Amino acid sequence: MSSAVASVSSGGQDVSEYIIHHLVNSDSWHPLPGVGVPLLGDIHLFGIDLGLTLHSLMLIIAGGIVYFLFGFLYKKHSGRAPSGMTNMLEFLVLFVRDEICINYLGEEDGKRLAPFFLNFFFLVLVMNLMGLIPIFSTATANINVTMGLALITLTMMIVGGIGKNGLVGFIHIFLPPGVPKPIYVILFPIEVMGLFIKPFALTMRLYANMLGGHIVIFSLLGLIITFGWFGLPALGLALFIFFLELLVAFIQAYVFTMLSAMFVGSMMHPSH
Amino acid sequence: MFSAPGLAAVGAGIVVLGAGLGIGRIAGSAMDGIARQPEASNKIQTAMIIGAALIEGVAFFCAVVCLLALNK
Repeated sequence: MSSAVASVSSGGQDVSEYIIHHLVNSDSWHPLPGVGVPLLGDIHLFGIDLGLTLHSLMLIIAGGIVYFLFGFLYKKHSGRAPSGMTNMLEFLVLFVRDEICINYLGEEDGKRLAPFFLNFFFLVLVMNLMGLIPIFSTATANINVTMGLALITLTMMIVGGIGKNGLVGFIHIFLPPGVPKPIYVILFPIEVMGLFIKPFALTMRLYANMLGGHIVIFSLLGLIITFGWFGLPALGLALFIFFLELLVAFIQAYVFTMLSAMFVGSMMHPSH
Repeated sequence: MFSAPGLAAVGAGIVVLGAGLGIGRIAGSAMDGIARQPEASNKIQTAMIIGAALIEGVAFFCAVVCLLALNK
């Protein structure tokens, strides 16, 4: 009995190592079992670590895939109805433009800012889906990547708010009308804090969603390590969670883009 | 008697309780709304996903705090 408990608990150690190995950023890429590709680890420039790590490599590959999709697979057509890949990409582009940008930013700004949010949507979507392909790793399960994306949203909120309303109008966003004057002493800091909490919430949502989903998949697969052949039925459960993750990848890309558009819209059109 | 990993696991359970209640209420109300007005289902669905995503964000934030407590 005690030896069985000991073997299971040592298996638990293996499993947590196995899970962490698959989720945490590292200096080498393991596309196949036993194959390790070392990456350029140590490049320091002006005191900043610019070395290529696994997740930054995935970020670059995702950018390449998005470029490939729209640079090569997308065919401009004239007069005829689109077909194949072009059709699918146009469906997604139109969805983001009409349902997200124009809905939250208005007709004029929505069309003008659509490329910005389309970038968000396709980059996050490709990174999320890459996490489900065995040879790749999930860049969005790294908080630095999602924080970077959310900082772009924060910049857009501030730049868009000042550009649209002017500096005085931008300050007035944090002073909602119809409130007694003394309340502003409390309200103004809270509203300014809200400006920074919104991107932080975006960061945590995407990061924790992707990390959580992958931890669940690897925990179920880890049952096989712990229990041997008896853990094999867990494969079915892992497959179920895998398909759930496929759905979550799309939903999170949609939610990230939509909330970004909503936050930018609330800065550009504060009356809405 | 109470170890830190055990308490962190209990915390994760409580997070799930809150998030489940919140998202369940949103989904239930959305179902009511769609049943009464099927033609407005698109708008209701969008609003439902926004609300669910906001609750989910808080829930995941708490789950990450539990995860960090687990490593202590």
